[in-house]
Amino acid sequence: MKEKILMIVFVLLLGSILTGILVAVNFYTSPLIEKNRVIKLKTSVLKAVSIPFSEDEVEKVFAENIRVKGSDENIYYLTASEEVAFPFSGPGLWGPITGILAMHADLSSIKGITIMHQEETPGLGSRIAEKEYLDIFNNKKFAPDLIAVGAGKSSRENEIDTITGATMSSNAFIIILNIEYKEYRSFIQGD
Amino acid sequence: MAVTELAKKSSIKTIMNGIWRDHPIFSMLLGICSALAVSNRVENAIAMGAGVTFVLLATAVLISLLRFLIPRRVRMITYMLIVASFVIIVDRFLKAFYPVISESIGPYVGLIITNCIIMGRAEAFYIQNNTLQSILDSLANGFGYTYTLVSIAVVREILGFGTLMGIKVMPEGWTNWVVMSMAPGAFFLISIFIWITRTLAKMESE
Repeated sequence: MKEKILMIVFVLLLGSILTGILVAVNFYTSPLIEKNRVIKLKTSVLKAVSIPFSEDEVEKVFAENIRVKGSDENIYYLTASEEVAFPFSGPGLWGPITGILAMHADLSSIKGITIMHQEETPGLGSRIAEKEYLDIFNNKKFAPDLIAVGAGKSSRENEIDTITGATMSSNAFIIILNIEYKEYRSFIQGD
Repeated sequence: MAVTELAKKSSIKTIMNGIWRDHPIFSMLLGICSALAVSNRVENAIAMGAGVTFVLLATAVLISLLRFLIPRRVRMITYMLIVASFVIIVDRFLKAFYPVISESIGPYVGLIITNCIIMGRAEAFYIQNNTLQSILDSLANGFGYTYTLVSIAVVREILGFGTLMGIKVMPEGWTNWVVMSMAPGAFFLISIFIWITRTLAKMESE
């Protein structure tokens, strides 16, 4: 009996000590992790609206050039020339895709896109996050939707090439953009 | 005199066991899942190797110090508590100071908890050896694990992405071998690695 009680006391004691250490680590790292998250978001917004910045001045450049508008659920970012950027997220082929979509002031043509997180197949679907691919979206128009076409076949202003070997990821990405664009356009126009 | 000689000899044996004879990956075949998953880029492999080595070291110190206190029947729970705590510390540390690496190795940091190398060494070695020997063993095993990951990652990154540590090394027009950056490439390379090293170490499979 005594042995059993000692056993329980040992586990409880060890558990409490280790938990205490973890609480301390959490307390110390939480602000740093939050800061990293904010910097990543601001970097993505600046890249999407193509404002040049250096790594150490993200906060400063962001504060000077970007106004944050909207509510917590529907937050969006305005530049001096009335370009609008907003976060998007949705299901990709394997996991969530999140990023920032920036629109010209007319709210119908795309200024730029950055991807913050994706879990598509490395080397295939993951190419949706590469600048070369995202650049083909620039100046495309939601009229009323973006339409995915085979690689190299896009001719109209709302047609987007898919990536050969990653059609599913490209399609999923374009569907996310269409859905989020509609939601944000009605929200921003009403705001 | 004889005692120190003996201690020295067993220290060298401990180290050699970890990095060669009882190598965690090719001899004991432990920690294969993380080795398959995180060896796609050299940077990730180094971070993962460092993470595992740190957790091993911390576990070795704590368990070998507590080895007379830990009641036999709850020793597994004790290992889990200790390992899990250190893994969470590594995860928070990476998130706070190396967000890019943390993002790319993602869930695998958390999975260090289930890395059999740590549980295996705790049960086989740290619970019955003194702290110095345990520290040597943890460093040797951590190093053994890391150099395996890094050497596989070098091949996979060069062939799969055309880069090394993120710097382009392959000539212009090089086509990436996508299979190398995905799981099958890891299986091929780990098998080849185990084949070569087991042949070198003259290990016979029964």
